[in-house]
Amino acid sequence: MDRELGPAGRDELSGSPARSVTDRLRGAVERNALALGTLGTVAVLVVTFYHPVGTVLLEAVVDGGRLTLGPLLAVLADPFYTGVASGLFAEPLAVPGGILAWLGQVSLSPFAVPSASLGLIGFTAYQAALSTVASVALGLPGAYLLSRFEFRGRRTIRSLTILPFVLPSIMVAVGFLAMFGANGVFNDVLRVFGLGPFRLLFTLEIVILAHAFYNAPLVTRLVTAAWESVDASGVETARAMGASPRRAFRDVVVPQLLPALLTAALLAFVFTFMTFPIVLALGGLRLATLEVWLYARVRDLALAEAAAIGTIETVVTLSLTYLYLRYEARTAGTTDRGRPLTRRPLFDGVRSLADPVRLALLGYGAVVVVVFVGPLLSMVVESVTTPSGAFTTAYWQFLVDQQTAATAGTVQPLQAVVRSLLFGAGTLLLAVPMGVVVSVLSVRGGRGSRAVEAVLTAPLAVSGVVVGLGLLQTLVFGTVLFGQRIVLTGAVAVVAAHAVSAYPFVTRNVAPALGGLDPRVVDAARSLGASRVRTLLDVELPLVATSVLAGAAFAFAISVGEFDATVILAEGVDSATMPVALERYIGNRSIGPSLGPATAMGTVLLAVTAVSFFAIDRLGGRYER
Amino acid sequence: MKRRTFLTGVGTAGAVGLAGCTGFVGGGGDPSGTLTVATYSSFTGEGTAGTWLKSAFEGEYPDATVEFVTPENGLNQYIQRAQQDAPIDADLYVGLNTGELVRADERLDTDLFVSVENSLDGAERVKSDLRIDPDGRAITYDTGYITLVYDEDEVSGPFTFDALLDPEFEDALITQNAQQSDPGRAFLLWTIDAKGEDGYLDYWQGLVDNGVTILDDWEPAYNAYLAEEAPMVVSYSTDQVYYHGPDVDMSRHQVGFIEDQGYANPEAMALFAGSDQSELGRQFMEFVLTPEAQREVASRNVQYPAVEGVEMPEEFSQYAYEPPEAVTFTYDELAGNVSTWIENWARQVATN
Repeated sequence: MDRELGPAGRDELSGSPARSVTDRLRGAVERNALALGTLGTVAVLVVTFYHPVGTVLLEAVVDGGRLTLGPLLAVLADPFYTGVASGLFAEPLAVPGGILAWLGQVSLSPFAVPSASLGLIGFTAYQAALSTVASVALGLPGAYLLSRFEFRGRRTIRSLTILPFVLPSIMVAVGFLAMFGANGVFNDVLRVFGLGPFRLLFTLEIVILAHAFYNAPLVTRLVTAAWESVDASGVETARAMGASPRRAFRDVVVPQLLPALLTAALLAFVFTFMTFPIVLALGGLRLATLEVWLYARVRDLALAEAAAIGTIETVVTLSLTYLYLRYEARTAGTTDRGRPLTRRPLFDGVRSLADPVRLALLGYGAVVVVVFVGPLLSMVVESVTTPSGAFTTAYWQFLVDQQTAATAGTVQPLQAVVRSLLFGAGTLLLAVPMGVVVSVLSVRGGRGSRAVEAVLTAPLAVSGVVVGLGLLQTLVFGTVLFGQRIVLTGAVAVVAAHAVSAYPFVTRNVAPALGGLDPRVVDAARSLGASRVRTLLDVELPLVATSVLAGAAFAFAISVGEFDATVILAEGVDSATMPVALERYIGNRSIGPSLGPATAMGTVLLAVTAVSFFAIDRLGGRYER
Repeated sequence: MKRRTFLTGVGTAGAVGLAGCTGFVGGGGDPSGTLTVATYSSFTGEGTAGTWLKSAFEGEYPDATVEFVTPENGLNQYIQRAQQDAPIDADLYVGLNTGELVRADERLDTDLFVSVENSLDGAERVKSDLRIDPDGRAITYDTGYITLVYDEDEVSGPFTFDALLDPEFEDALITQNAQQSDPGRAFLLWTIDAKGEDGYLDYWQGLVDNGVTILDDWEPAYNAYLAEEAPMVVSYSTDQVYYHGPDVDMSRHQVGFIEDQGYANPEAMALFAGSDQSELGRQFMEFVLTPEAQREVASRNVQYPAVEGVEMPEEFSQYAYEPPEAVTFTYDELAGNVSTWIENWARQVATN
């Protein structure tokens, strides 16, 4: 790594020939830290991601030791999956007509579901595209509000935007039912105005809204972070040179927001392309997506077909990721470390209320209340309400009873909270270094590094069902090495798996910021004798601390909300994090079949996450400008 | 420094090690040793059938210990372990249904379970129409009946399959995905029993056209029903055992049999072929079939006992309904078919 200045050269510079052994050792570690970090990152990835996923996906192309395209072609040539495009694979000569017919099916009325002719793959992409648009539309104004205006509670709200991220889908379903159901709050309010009731549940619209519920906050968070690091002097220079405010915004601000916005849109598309439980919980089987099918094939142990579906999903998501990374590398601007834009007060006297921008933001606030606050609050209210609408403390009493129960196999809420926080902290401590190492590699890498980075971003782009199956087959069942069956389960494996799914978020936050730093800063530090790692730790990372913090927050949230890998890699009560406890309480019939106890646990999950994020943001506050 | 202490902390709590050391070899005489029972997660924990069984069995045989494991993917965990020659690490499986047994046999060349029926005390008392395994491996210990639960203020019986296609029942029914839900699969199989292998897809097209909603599992479906999204839901005939009392509006907890039938979904237990605790496993199975255990397990599971002549608690007898006629597919009828039936059904629904 130290190309310009070898170790010997640095010794002369530092001018201390009689250094102690510890110093030398430290020096050696420091010089090789990046290499060691890379090695460690790759090792963790291979064990808990590439090898497990590889064993699953190989089924799609290997049959009895021979390469085959059979399973893939079987899926692609099946009209059920590819609609009218299936001819593409069944009869390649009829291709052009097939494509036109397929495109022609994308109806002008966006919610008319053309699934039969689009096929399952087409429909999945179609609903993901709509979900992405909805997420951006709901998330972008939030970023504008949080980064350009000052008001009481702004930072708190910014911290809380993470909440939807950790909520299990069944709780989102509960919240949406209470908010948008036939007798939900939304219809009740409409009734007051003599409107409705509207049947919103079990439609494509509600599924897309639920996707936006999960992903719009992602847009808000990423774009807010970018907007807050725009240097005010750039805008002022443009204005001084005669640009109109609109022109200055378009030429100076927008180019700096675009990478963040596109990252968020890419993530929203990738996530909703591989959406799973929420579709069947709110929409129903008619709106099934690829991942729903993949899960059903796995349950039926039709693993070759499952692998083919998983491979197709991965090809789509990874190609998009690669294209995006190429774009990002081409457009990387500089990360300004100047003064941030000053925020205007949101409320500035009575007259400010007549401002059309502020009025629009007020309207946006109302939408936020309905789409985000409504379902979350509904879930909290459900935790103290009986099915007939009366107040009850029974569900919270249930949590207390579980806490005091001595029976083996009982999941205790407090232990679940502690376990979630420990796993979250562990994930953060593992994912942040991994993410930074990969960021450094990708920023300073040469040709082909976009492809490498895309492959390294794969944990975002591979189906959760595939990862889960892979972890089961390799780590839980064990892998035979040198005649010994090696099983890797328990807390360490859980944290490693969480870190693997979390670190790309760190990379996605840190890499663009690192890439934007003026290379001369690094060169200056290096020429003064600082090792590559010293430069990184003392110069670069402090300059991009906001991004590191944003990535760390995501890492923590991913861990807190994770379910599948946790229950696969840890058994029984050992796996009981907050979402797992919640799921166990759904199955618990001791106070009758009721989602009440789960909503109480969901409320605990929300509260613990909110407090954690408050703490993370406040602790990190000193890095903010 | 903090990081290191944390990692050591979880390292000792976690289990990074070599598998394949279960040890204990049992024999005749007084049962002793540890019996590992694989089951679904809601079978264990405070107040459950599993917990009662564990303490009652251990009370009867002080040298024996019962441990539960609850793999997330249920029986598939063991089918896949067998496929990959990984150790099974369990002695008994509790909570098996006919379809799962068929799947295990179709996916494996060797038997996952051993035949025990002929050598098991009490197995002869299991009701003959609840016996699911012609090879005598899976022993039924309780059963539920899948039916409609409906709101008598909004819809009324008697219900027939054909009537469900009428405008009266437009947007009226919520059921579950047969690919992943027990009651959902039972309801689908029931329609196949009624409409035949050649007619059920057309029938379901009619249901879909009439606005049936198919959610992923029982909880979201029943929750949507309770929120009055629809006046009927596919559920269990024991519904009122949970929902009765002075504060409950019973009009929304009416049990409706279709064509005076209910679809039986027996739950069974079976002994893994590789178990080195097979003797203890058999004794545990015999224990489950005793009248007392039958009553306790069934009432804690809110299911019907599998053996004849079990006296159920007053509350259960009053609020649980047995269908006039129980239908269910046998092992032989499901073998070679069930997987295709379900997939064709799911494709039919999803292409709408």
